[in-house]
Amino acid sequence: MPKYGMMIDLNKCTSCQACVTACKLENNVQIVSEDDAQNGRAMFWMKMLTLEFDGDYPNIRPKALPRNCMQCDEPSCIKVCPVRATYKRPDGIVAQIYPQCIGCRYCMANCPYTVKVFNWDRQAQPVQMEKTYDPDVSVRPKGVVEKCTFCIQRLQKASEKAAVEHRKLEPGDYVPACVEVCPVDAITFGDLDDPKSEVTKASRDYRAFGLLEELGTVPKVRYLNAIE
Amino acid sequence: MKKYLMLVAIAVGFLAGIVLVNYLVGRRESFVQPIDFSHAVHAGKYKIPCMACHQGVMMRASAGIPNIEVCGACHSTPMKKTPQELLVYKYVSQHKQIPWYSIYHVPDYVYFSHRRHVLLGKLDCKLCHGDMAALTSPPKTQFLQIKMQNCWNCHVKHGVTTDCSHCHR
Repeated sequence: MPKYGMMIDLNKCTSCQACVTACKLENNVQIVSEDDAQNGRAMFWMKMLTLEFDGDYPNIRPKALPRNCMQCDEPSCIKVCPVRATYKRPDGIVAQIYPQCIGCRYCMANCPYTVKVFNWDRQAQPVQMEKTYDPDVSVRPKGVVEKCTFCIQRLQKASEKAAVEHRKLEPGDYVPACVEVCPVDAITFGDLDDPKSEVTKASRDYRAFGLLEELGTVPKVRYLNAIE
Repeated sequence: MKKYLMLVAIAVGFLAGIVLVNYLVGRRESFVQPIDFSHAVHAGKYKIPCMACHQGVMMRASAGIPNIEVCGACHSTPMKKTPQELLVYKYVSQHKQIPWYSIYHVPDYVYFSHRRHVLLGKLDCKLCHGDMAALTSPPKTQFLQIKMQNCWNCHVKHGVTTDCSHCHR
């Protein structure tokens, strides 16, 4: 059983937000109204946390941090869910089952990374978004919590395709939308249990760190520090 | 006496409510298929395999109701000239899709793949859809109701995964 993980190289990341857009389209993440956004209810599974800007124009370099669900090995969200709507799969992906969720938002309160988002309302989406609707992902109703699932639908499709072709799932068959779209290959994705995979090699780099590692959540999304 | 009458009135009102709800729900499910399609003739008498018309079974999540091009492959000219076949021919000659009423609806939050069940799981269509080759008119109800309990029973029986996220999305 693989253990999926992700490494984000902050040296390569230009904070172009392609991953943010791709994630939003891939997973039918709702575009909220202006009022809701101002109330801090904007919905992002992958979010670009802009920290500061370095240098003078035109040699400007934003210091940003793409942040999705950390897919912790010891997730704090599943410990507080009263209905087991969120749980850790054997392959390490922390899944969220929307029909099971009762919207108590305990998991949101307990997540140290604040990656979970709540559907406060169901807004009518812009007409232009109709063409981008992804039929592989359900549209979450009002009142449930959602979060990044490492594009679990892509894993499902890839494993089904591999089974039809009578072969095992190979590295590269399954990558989330943010990894696929990244123009500078800042995000590497793969099996952390495979010693030859790129993501394992990257995780052994001296620059590697995880967000809030001292909490003991053991995040499987880790970063490579930006070094000038 | 007055109290007794009131109780009776409440009971009668309650029963009437149930009948009314049943009536309304029942009405919503009633439908008429545009053509009295006989699976018994196609699948039973002429032994056409299911996949010949429901072409998504092996390839896609949805098996699909055949479109008019599939019907037109055989019915481009009327063969038997029965009234039902002439109806099909009318749709074929006008290149219009037949407005079939679909009775199997998988909810939005469930991932069900025919390819996974039929091609990979090697399940017989009869398991969920019953003996379609015996039906002389389109089915009116779901043979195996689309309920989580039915999925669950079969998954447990065959030792298939019961992980939530494999079916719920």
